[in-house]
Amino acid sequence: MAPRSVPDPTRMRPASPRPNPNRLRFALGTGGFAALSALLTAIAVPPSPASPSSPVAMPVAQDTVTQQRPIQYVQLAAGQAPPPGARVIDAKAPKPITIVTTVPAPAQQPVVVRTTQSGKVVP
Amino acid sequence: MIAAGRQVRTTRAPRGVPPTPIVPVSMATSAMGGRLAVHLAAASEERRARHDAERVLSRINRWADRLSRHLDASELSALNADPRAVVTVGPTLGAALFAALDAGQESGGLVDIALLDARLAAEGLADPRSAGAAPRDWSIALGPRRTAVVHRSPGVRFDLGGVAKGWLADRGLDLLSAWPSAVIDADGDLAVRCAPGQLWAVALDDPRTDGAALAILHLSAPQIGQPVRWGVATSGTSVHRWRHGDRVHHHLIDPRTSAPAITDVLQATVVCGSGLRAEVLAKTAVIAGSVDGMALLERAGVQGAVILTERGETLALPQTLALLAA
Repeated sequence: MAPRSVPDPTRMRPASPRPNPNRLRFALGTGGFAALSALLTAIAVPPSPASPSSPVAMPVAQDTVTQQRPIQYVQLAAGQAPPPGARVIDAKAPKPITIVTTVPAPAQQPVVVRTTQSGKVVP
Repeated sequence: MIAAGRQVRTTRAPRGVPPTPIVPVSMATSAMGGRLAVHLAAASEERRARHDAERVLSRINRWADRLSRHLDASELSALNADPRAVVTVGPTLGAALFAALDAGQESGGLVDIALLDARLAAEGLADPRSAGAAPRDWSIALGPRRTAVVHRSPGVRFDLGGVAKGWLADRGLDLLSAWPSAVIDADGDLAVRCAPGQLWAVALDDPRTDGAALAILHLSAPQIGQPVRWGVATSGTSVHRWRHGDRVHHHLIDPRTSAPAITDVLQATVVCGSGLRAEVLAKTAVIAGSVDGMALLERAGVQGAVILTERGETLALPQTLALLAA
Protein backbone atom coordinates (compact mmCIF):
# COMPACT_ATOMS: atom_id res chain seq x y z
CA MET A 1 0.00 0.00 0.00
CA ALA A 2 1.49 3.28 -1.05
CA PRO A 3 2.18 5.71 1.75
CA ARG A 4 -0.21 8.60 1.78
CA SER A 5 1.72 11.83 1.62
CA VAL A 6 0.98 14.65 3.92
CA PRO A 7 -0.30 17.64 2.02
CA ASP A 8 1.99 20.48 1.75
CA PRO A 9 0.27 23.47 3.28
CA THR A 10 2.24 25.79 1.15
CA ARG A 11 0.71 24.32 -2.03
CA MET A 12 -2.94 24.69 -0.89
CA ARG A 13 -5.13 27.31 -2.54
CA PRO A 14 -6.37 30.11 -0.37
CA ALA A 15 -9.85 29.52 1.03
CA SER A 16 -12.59 31.41 -0.84
CA PRO A 17 -14.93 33.56 1.21
CA ARG A 18 -18.14 31.58 2.24
CA PRO A 19 -21.64 33.13 1.90
CA ASN A 20 -23.44 34.11 5.02
CA PRO A 21 -25.88 31.17 5.76
CA ASN A 22 -28.18 33.19 7.96
CA ARG A 23 -30.02 34.75 5.01
CA LEU A 24 -30.92 31.33 3.56
CA ARG A 25 -31.86 30.01 6.99
CA PHE A 26 -34.18 32.96 7.48
CA ALA A 27 -35.80 32.46 4.08
CA LEU A 28 -36.33 28.73 4.60
CA GLY A 29 -37.65 29.28 8.09
CA THR A 30 -40.10 31.93 6.97
CA GLY A 31 -41.35 29.80 4.07
CA GLY A 32 -41.71 26.70 6.25
CA PHE A 33 -43.63 28.64 8.85
CA ALA A 34 -45.98 29.99 6.20
CA ALA A 35 -46.59 26.51 4.73
CA LEU A 36 -47.19 25.00 8.15
CA SER A 37 -49.58 27.80 9.02
CA ALA A 38 -51.58 27.27 5.83
CA LEU A 39 -51.71 23.53 6.42
CA LEU A 40 -52.95 23.93 9.99
CA THR A 41 -55.57 26.43 8.87
CA ALA A 42 -56.88 24.01 6.23
CA ILE A 43 -57.10 21.17 8.76
CA ALA A 44 -58.64 23.15 11.57
CA VAL A 45 -61.11 25.16 9.49
CA PRO A 46 -62.42 23.11 6.49
CA PRO A 47 -64.27 25.06 3.84
CA SER A 48 -68.00 25.15 4.57
CA PRO A 49 -70.29 23.67 1.82
CA ALA A 50 -72.38 26.09 -0.07
CA SER A 51 -75.96 26.10 1.10
CA PRO A 52 -78.65 25.86 -1.59
CA SER A 53 -79.92 29.28 -0.71
CA SER A 54 -76.57 31.07 -1.13
CA PRO A 55 -74.75 31.71 -4.38
CA VAL A 56 -71.39 30.03 -4.80
CA ALA A 57 -68.48 32.45 -5.12
CA MET A 58 -65.49 31.37 -7.12
CA PRO A 59 -62.18 31.57 -5.29
CA VAL A 60 -60.62 34.93 -5.86
CA ALA A 61 -57.20 34.97 -7.45
CA GLN A 62 -55.15 38.01 -8.09
CA ASP A 63 -55.75 39.75 -11.37
CA THR A 64 -59.21 38.07 -11.68
CA VAL A 65 -62.71 39.30 -11.05
CA THR A 66 -65.22 37.68 -8.72
CA GLN A 67 -67.62 35.28 -10.48
CA GLN A 68 -71.12 34.33 -9.38
CA ARG A 69 -72.12 30.82 -10.53
CA PRO A 70 -75.92 30.58 -10.58
CA ILE A 71 -77.41 27.43 -9.07
CA GLN A 72 -79.60 25.80 -11.70
CA TYR A 73 -80.68 22.50 -10.12
CA VAL A 74 -81.16 21.81 -6.44
CA GLN A 75 -82.59 19.07 -4.28
CA LEU A 76 -84.23 20.41 -1.18
CA ALA A 77 -84.55 19.01 2.29
CA ALA A 78 -87.74 19.58 4.22
CA GLY A 79 -88.27 23.24 4.95
CA GLN A 80 -85.70 24.55 2.50
CA ALA A 81 -86.52 27.08 -0.16
CA PRO A 82 -84.88 27.12 -3.59
CA PRO A 83 -82.76 30.09 -4.66
CA PRO A 84 -84.30 32.37 -7.25
CA GLY A 85 -84.27 30.86 -10.71
CA ALA A 86 -83.24 27.38 -9.58
CA ARG A 87 -85.09 24.35 -10.75
CA VAL A 88 -85.99 21.94 -7.98
CA ILE A 89 -85.27 18.26 -8.73
CA ASP A 90 -87.33 15.59 -7.02
CA ALA A 91 -85.05 12.67 -6.19
CA LYS A 92 -88.04 10.33 -6.28
CA ALA A 93 -89.19 11.44 -9.71
CA PRO A 94 -89.17 8.75 -12.41
CA LYS A 95 -85.95 8.56 -14.30
CA PRO A 96 -85.74 8.23 -18.07
CA ILE A 97 -86.38 4.69 -19.20
CA THR A 98 -85.75 2.72 -22.32
CA ILE A 99 -88.82 1.88 -24.35
CA VAL A 100 -88.86 -0.32 -27.39
CA THR A 101 -91.02 1.32 -29.99
CA THR A 102 -90.67 -1.28 -32.71
CA VAL A 103 -92.45 -4.43 -31.67
CA PRO A 104 -92.13 -7.07 -34.35
CA ALA A 105 -95.47 -7.90 -35.91
CA PRO A 106 -96.31 -11.52 -35.22
CA ALA A 107 -97.24 -14.05 -37.82
CA GLN A 108 -101.02 -14.12 -37.60
CA GLN A 109 -101.69 -17.67 -36.52
CA PRO A 110 -104.54 -19.22 -34.57
CA VAL A 111 -103.75 -19.05 -30.85
CA VAL A 112 -106.18 -20.53 -28.37
CA VAL A 113 -105.20 -18.49 -25.32
CA ARG A 114 -105.84 -14.79 -25.71
CA THR A 115 -105.62 -11.78 -23.40
CA THR A 116 -108.14 -9.05 -24.17
CA GLN A 117 -109.82 -6.06 -22.64
CA SER A 118 -112.76 -7.06 -20.47
CA GLY A 119 -115.99 -7.56 -22.37
CA LYS A 120 -114.22 -8.14 -25.68
CA VAL A 121 -116.00 -10.78 -27.72
CA VAL A 122 -113.44 -13.23 -29.05
CA PRO A 123 -114.36 -14.65 -32.46
CA MET B 1 -71.32 -35.43 -6.23
CA ILE B 2 -71.13 -36.46 -2.58
CA ALA B 3 -72.96 -34.49 0.01
CA ALA B 4 -73.32 -35.41 3.70
CA GLY B 5 -72.28 -38.97 3.06
CA ARG B 6 -75.07 -39.55 0.58
CA GLN B 7 -74.73 -39.76 -3.15
CA VAL B 8 -76.72 -37.14 -4.96
CA ARG B 9 -77.25 -37.65 -8.65
CA THR B 10 -77.53 -34.46 -10.62
CA THR B 11 -79.17 -34.17 -13.97
CA ARG B 12 -78.21 -31.72 -16.63
CA ALA B 13 -80.81 -30.03 -18.75
CA PRO B 14 -80.58 -31.11 -22.36
CA ARG B 15 -79.26 -28.28 -24.42
CA GLY B 16 -80.96 -26.98 -27.49
CA VAL B 17 -84.25 -28.75 -26.89
CA PRO B 18 -87.00 -26.25 -27.63
CA PRO B 19 -90.05 -26.26 -25.35
CA THR B 20 -93.06 -28.12 -26.64
CA PRO B 21 -96.03 -25.91 -27.59
CA ILE B 22 -99.13 -26.93 -25.69
CA VAL B 23 -102.27 -27.98 -27.56
CA PRO B 24 -104.77 -27.60 -24.73
CA VAL B 25 -108.09 -29.10 -23.81
CA SER B 26 -110.30 -26.03 -23.41
CA MET B 27 -113.69 -25.38 -21.85
CA ALA B 28 -115.46 -22.01 -21.73
CA THR B 29 -118.62 -20.44 -20.41
CA SER B 30 -120.05 -16.96 -19.85
CA ALA B 31 -119.49 -15.19 -16.56
CA MET B 32 -118.80 -11.72 -15.18
CA GLY B 33 -120.20 -10.09 -18.29
CA GLY B 34 -117.67 -11.86 -20.47
CA ARG B 35 -116.04 -15.21 -21.03
CA LEU B 36 -114.59 -17.60 -18.49
CA ALA B 37 -112.34 -20.36 -19.84
CA VAL B 38 -110.03 -23.09 -18.63
CA HIS B 39 -107.19 -24.47 -20.77
CA LEU B 40 -105.31 -27.59 -19.69
CA ALA B 41 -102.32 -29.44 -21.16
CA ALA B 42 -103.98 -32.82 -20.87
CA ALA B 43 -102.20 -34.99 -23.46
CA SER B 44 -103.92 -38.36 -23.10
CA GLU B 45 -106.11 -37.43 -20.13
CA GLU B 46 -108.78 -35.47 -21.94
CA ARG B 47 -111.68 -36.96 -20.02
CA ARG B 48 -110.19 -36.12 -16.62
CA ALA B 49 -109.23 -32.67 -17.90
CA ARG B 50 -112.79 -31.90 -18.97
CA HIS B 51 -114.13 -33.10 -15.63
CA ASP B 52 -111.71 -30.92 -13.67
CA ALA B 53 -112.22 -27.92 -15.94
CA GLU B 54 -115.98 -28.15 -15.53
CA ARG B 55 -115.64 -28.37 -11.76
CA VAL B 56 -113.39 -25.30 -11.61
CA LEU B 57 -115.59 -23.28 -13.98
CA SER B 58 -118.56 -24.01 -11.75
CA ARG B 59 -116.65 -22.96 -8.64
CA ILE B 60 -115.40 -19.72 -10.21
CA ASN B 61 -118.91 -18.93 -11.40
CA ARG B 62 -120.25 -19.26 -7.86
CA TRP B 63 -117.56 -16.90 -6.58
CA ALA B 64 -118.22 -14.48 -9.44
CA ASP B 65 -121.93 -14.42 -8.62
CA ARG B 66 -121.10 -13.14 -5.14
CA LEU B 67 -118.81 -10.40 -6.45
CA SER B 68 -120.87 -9.02 -9.34
CA ARG B 69 -122.57 -5.63 -9.11
CA HIS B 70 -124.77 -6.62 -12.07
CA LEU B 71 -126.66 -9.27 -10.08
CA ASP B 72 -129.21 -8.01 -7.58
CA ALA B 73 -128.80 -11.16 -5.51
CA SER B 74 -125.01 -10.90 -5.22
CA GLU B 75 -123.34 -10.25 -1.91
CA LEU B 76 -121.69 -7.15 -3.40
CA SER B 77 -125.08 -5.74 -4.46
CA ALA B 78 -126.37 -6.37 -0.94
CA LEU B 79 -123.40 -4.47 0.49
CA ASN B 80 -123.94 -1.58 -1.92
CA ALA B 81 -127.63 -1.42 -1.01
CA ASP B 82 -126.95 -1.55 2.74
CA PRO B 83 -127.19 1.96 4.27
CA ARG B 84 -125.10 1.06 7.33
CA ALA B 85 -121.53 2.28 7.70
CA VAL B 86 -120.33 -1.01 9.21
CA VAL B 87 -121.32 -4.23 7.45
CA THR B 88 -120.15 -7.81 7.93
CA VAL B 89 -119.49 -9.68 4.69
CA GLY B 90 -118.74 -13.31 3.84
CA PRO B 91 -115.32 -14.86 3.26
CA THR B 92 -115.31 -14.59 -0.54
CA LEU B 93 -116.32 -10.93 -0.72
CA GLY B 94 -114.07 -10.18 2.22
CA ALA B 95 -111.05 -11.75 0.51
CA ALA B 96 -111.78 -9.87 -2.72
CA LEU B 97 -112.06 -6.58 -0.81
CA PHE B 98 -108.74 -7.23 0.93
CA ALA B 99 -107.24 -7.85 -2.52
CA ALA B 100 -108.76 -4.56 -3.70
CA LEU B 101 -107.06 -2.71 -0.84
CA ASP B 102 -103.73 -4.18 -1.97
CA ALA B 103 -104.57 -3.14 -5.54
CA GLY B 104 -105.09 0.43 -4.40
CA GLN B 105 -101.67 0.48 -2.75
CA GLU B 106 -99.94 -1.21 -5.69
CA SER B 107 -101.37 1.37 -8.09
CA GLY B 108 -100.65 4.40 -5.95
CA GLY B 109 -104.38 4.93 -5.57
CA LEU B 110 -105.21 4.88 -9.29
CA VAL B 111 -107.15 1.63 -9.00
CA ASP B 112 -110.06 2.47 -6.70
CA ILE B 113 -113.06 0.18 -6.37
CA ALA B 114 -115.15 2.81 -4.57
CA LEU B 115 -115.98 4.64 -7.80
CA LEU B 116 -119.23 2.93 -8.75
CA ASP B 117 -121.18 6.19 -8.96
CA ALA B 118 -118.58 7.74 -11.26
CA ARG B 119 -118.65 4.62 -13.44
CA LEU B 120 -122.46 4.78 -13.65
CA ALA B 121 -122.19 8.46 -14.54
CA ALA B 122 -119.80 7.59 -17.36
CA GLU B 123 -122.41 5.15 -18.66
CA GLY B 124 -125.07 7.83 -18.43
CA LEU B 125 -126.88 6.01 -15.63
CA ALA B 126 -126.17 8.53 -12.85
CA ASP B 127 -125.74 12.26 -12.41
CA PRO B 128 -122.10 13.15 -13.07
CA ARG B 129 -122.35 16.04 -10.58
CA SER B 130 -122.91 13.60 -7.72
CA ALA B 131 -120.02 11.36 -8.72
CA GLY B 132 -116.93 12.05 -6.67
CA ALA B 133 -118.58 14.60 -4.43
CA ALA B 134 -118.78 12.33 -1.38
CA PRO B 135 -115.76 10.92 0.50
CA ARG B 136 -114.73 7.42 -0.54
CA ASP B 137 -113.02 6.28 2.66
CA TRP B 138 -113.36 2.64 3.57
CA SER B 139 -111.47 -0.08 5.35
CA ILE B 140 -111.87 -3.76 6.11
CA ALA B 141 -110.91 -5.98 9.04
CA LEU B 142 -111.15 -9.67 9.76
CA GLY B 143 -114.33 -10.69 11.55
CA PRO B 144 -115.40 -13.83 13.37
CA ARG B 145 -115.70 -17.18 11.57
CA ARG B 146 -113.82 -16.17 8.38
CA THR B 147 -116.06 -13.15 7.83
CA ALA B 148 -114.81 -9.62 7.31
CA VAL B 149 -116.15 -6.28 8.54
CA VAL B 150 -116.34 -3.32 6.15
CA HIS B 151 -116.19 0.22 7.55
CA ARG B 152 -117.04 2.98 5.09
CA SER B 153 -118.14 6.55 4.73
CA PRO B 154 -121.84 7.02 4.09
CA GLY B 155 -122.77 6.36 0.48
CA VAL B 156 -119.63 4.46 -0.53
CA ARG B 157 -120.50 1.79 -3.11
CA PHE B 158 -118.13 -0.66 -4.72
CA ASP B 159 -117.42 -1.96 -8.22
CA LEU B 160 -114.82 -4.73 -8.09
CA GLY B 161 -114.61 -4.93 -11.89
CA GLY B 162 -111.25 -6.14 -13.17
CA VAL B 163 -109.89 -6.60 -9.66
CA ALA B 164 -112.38 -9.43 -9.17
CA LYS B 165 -111.46 -10.98 -12.51
CA GLY B 166 -107.74 -11.03 -11.83
CA TRP B 167 -108.37 -12.34 -8.33
CA LEU B 168 -110.71 -15.09 -9.64
CA ALA B 169 -108.16 -16.14 -12.26
CA ASP B 170 -105.51 -16.64 -9.58
CA ARG B 171 -107.91 -18.48 -7.27
CA GLY B 172 -109.09 -20.70 -10.12
CA LEU B 173 -105.53 -21.68 -11.02
CA ASP B 174 -104.92 -22.61 -7.39
CA LEU B 175 -107.78 -25.11 -7.71
CA LEU B 176 -106.00 -26.79 -10.63
CA SER B 177 -102.82 -27.67 -8.73
CA ALA B 178 -102.98 -31.22 -10.12
CA TRP B 179 -102.32 -29.83 -13.60
CA PRO B 180 -98.76 -28.54 -14.10
CA SER B 181 -99.76 -26.67 -17.26
CA ALA B 182 -103.03 -24.77 -16.97
CA VAL B 183 -104.57 -21.40 -17.81
CA ILE B 184 -107.58 -19.64 -16.31
CA ASP B 185 -109.00 -16.94 -18.59
CA ALA B 186 -111.26 -14.63 -16.57
CA ASP B 187 -112.61 -12.35 -19.30
CA GLY B 188 -109.15 -11.59 -20.67
CA ASP B 189 -107.21 -11.66 -17.37
CA LEU B 190 -105.05 -14.78 -17.39
CA ALA B 191 -103.44 -16.85 -14.67
CA VAL B 192 -100.91 -19.14 -16.38
CA ARG B 193 -98.87 -22.08 -15.15
CA CYS B 194 -96.42 -23.96 -17.38
CA ALA B 195 -94.68 -27.27 -16.74
CA PRO B 196 -90.95 -27.67 -17.44
CA GLY B 197 -90.20 -28.04 -21.12
CA GLN B 198 -93.60 -26.81 -22.26
CA LEU B 199 -94.78 -23.56 -23.82
CA TRP B 200 -97.99 -21.56 -23.81
CA ALA B 201 -98.59 -19.27 -26.77
CA VAL B 202 -100.66 -16.27 -25.66
CA ALA B 203 -102.03 -13.78 -28.18
CA LEU B 204 -102.31 -10.11 -27.25
CA ASP B 205 -105.54 -8.92 -28.79
CA ASP B 206 -105.31 -6.06 -31.28
CA PRO B 207 -108.36 -3.88 -30.51
CA ARG B 208 -108.25 -2.27 -33.96
CA THR B 209 -108.88 -5.45 -35.94
CA ASP B 210 -111.16 -8.32 -34.97
CA GLY B 211 -109.23 -11.54 -34.51
CA ALA B 212 -105.81 -9.96 -35.05
CA ALA B 213 -102.96 -10.18 -32.58
CA LEU B 214 -100.82 -7.24 -31.56
CA ALA B 215 -98.13 -9.67 -30.45
CA ILE B 216 -97.81 -13.30 -29.43
CA LEU B 217 -96.13 -14.20 -26.16
CA HIS B 218 -94.28 -17.46 -25.66
CA LEU B 219 -94.40 -18.33 -21.98
CA SER B 220 -92.21 -21.36 -21.34
CA ALA B 221 -90.62 -23.04 -18.35
CA PRO B 222 -87.03 -24.38 -18.31
CA GLN B 223 -86.56 -28.06 -19.11
CA ILE B 224 -85.55 -28.83 -15.53
CA GLY B 225 -87.19 -27.39 -12.44
CA GLN B 226 -90.57 -26.43 -11.12
CA PRO B 227 -93.57 -25.19 -13.11
CA VAL B 228 -93.54 -21.43 -13.67
CA ARG B 229 -96.50 -19.17 -13.01
CA TRP B 230 -97.46 -15.86 -14.64
CA GLY B 231 -100.30 -13.39 -14.75
CA VAL B 232 -101.17 -11.72 -18.05
CA ALA B 233 -103.85 -9.04 -18.20
CA THR B 234 -105.05 -6.40 -20.63
CA SER B 235 -106.92 -3.19 -19.91
CA GLY B 236 -108.06 -0.45 -22.23
CA THR B 237 -110.57 2.14 -23.29
CA SER B 238 -111.77 0.83 -26.62
CA VAL B 239 -114.40 -1.75 -25.63
CA HIS B 240 -116.62 -0.14 -22.99
CA ARG B 241 -117.42 3.24 -24.55
CA TRP B 242 -120.54 5.38 -24.44
CA ARG B 243 -121.43 8.46 -26.44
CA HIS B 244 -123.19 11.35 -24.67
CA GLY B 245 -123.89 14.09 -27.20
CA ASP B 246 -120.59 14.85 -28.84
CA ARG B 247 -118.52 13.34 -26.03
CA VAL B 248 -117.34 9.74 -25.77
CA HIS B 249 -116.82 8.25 -22.32
CA HIS B 250 -115.05 5.03 -21.38
CA HIS B 251 -115.18 2.91 -18.24
CA LEU B 252 -111.76 3.51 -16.66
CA ILE B 253 -112.33 6.17 -14.01
CA ASP B 254 -109.47 8.36 -12.82
CA PRO B 255 -109.94 8.70 -9.03
CA ARG B 256 -108.25 12.11 -9.14
CA THR B 257 -111.09 13.53 -11.20
CA SER B 258 -113.87 10.96 -10.69
CA ALA B 259 -114.31 11.03 -14.47
CA PRO B 260 -113.12 8.81 -17.32
CA ALA B 261 -109.34 9.03 -17.50
CA ILE B 262 -107.89 11.41 -20.05
CA THR B 263 -105.18 9.20 -21.50
CA ASP B 264 -103.28 8.51 -24.69
CA VAL B 265 -103.25 4.76 -23.99
CA LEU B 266 -105.75 2.71 -25.96
CA GLN B 267 -104.70 -0.60 -24.43
CA ALA B 268 -102.05 -1.92 -22.05
CA THR B 269 -100.98 -5.52 -21.44
CA VAL B 270 -98.79 -6.54 -18.51
CA VAL B 271 -96.98 -9.82 -17.78
CA CYS B 272 -95.98 -10.42 -14.17
CA GLY B 273 -96.35 -12.95 -11.38
CA SER B 274 -100.12 -13.01 -10.82
CA GLY B 275 -103.33 -12.29 -12.69
CA LEU B 276 -104.51 -9.76 -10.12
CA ARG B 277 -101.26 -7.79 -10.16
CA ALA B 278 -101.17 -7.84 -13.96
CA GLU B 279 -104.74 -6.50 -14.10
CA VAL B 280 -104.02 -3.75 -11.56
CA LEU B 281 -100.83 -2.62 -13.28
CA ALA B 282 -102.38 -2.70 -16.76
CA LYS B 283 -105.29 -0.54 -15.61
CA THR B 284 -102.93 1.80 -13.79
CA ALA B 285 -100.84 2.25 -16.94
CA VAL B 286 -103.93 3.14 -18.97
CA ILE B 287 -105.10 5.73 -16.44
CA ALA B 288 -101.61 7.19 -15.99
CA GLY B 289 -100.91 7.59 -19.72
CA SER B 290 -98.10 6.17 -21.83
CA VAL B 291 -95.17 8.12 -20.37
CA ASP B 292 -95.98 7.79 -16.69
CA GLY B 293 -97.45 4.34 -17.29
CA MET B 294 -94.26 2.92 -18.79
CA ALA B 295 -92.22 4.45 -15.96
CA LEU B 296 -94.38 2.90 -13.27
CA LEU B 297 -94.38 -0.48 -15.01
CA GLU B 298 -90.60 -0.43 -15.11
CA ARG B 299 -90.41 0.50 -11.44
CA ALA B 300 -92.86 -2.30 -10.66
CA GLY B 301 -90.42 -4.80 -12.17
CA VAL B 302 -92.91 -6.47 -14.50
CA GLN B 303 -91.72 -9.21 -16.83
CA GLY B 304 -93.30 -7.63 -19.86
CA ALA B 305 -95.51 -4.75 -20.96
CA VAL B 306 -96.97 -3.72 -24.30
CA ILE B 307 -98.87 -0.46 -24.73
CA LEU B 308 -100.88 0.59 -27.77
CA THR B 309 -101.42 4.34 -27.93
CA GLU B 310 -104.17 6.38 -29.53
CA ARG B 311 -101.55 7.45 -32.07
CA GLY B 312 -101.12 3.86 -33.21
CA GLU B 313 -97.72 3.39 -31.59
CA THR B 314 -96.87 0.04 -30.03
CA LEU B 315 -94.55 0.53 -27.07
CA ALA B 316 -92.87 -2.20 -25.05
CA LEU B 317 -90.45 -2.50 -22.19
CA PRO B 318 -87.22 -4.10 -23.43
CA GLN B 319 -87.60 -7.27 -21.37
CA THR B 320 -90.82 -7.99 -23.26
CA LEU B 321 -88.87 -8.87 -26.40
CA ALA B 322 -87.55 -12.04 -24.75
CA LEU B 323 -91.16 -13.23 -24.42
CA LEU B 324 -92.31 -12.44 -27.93
CA ALA B 325 -92.65 -15.14 -30.54
CA ALA B 326 -90.18 -14.82 -33.38
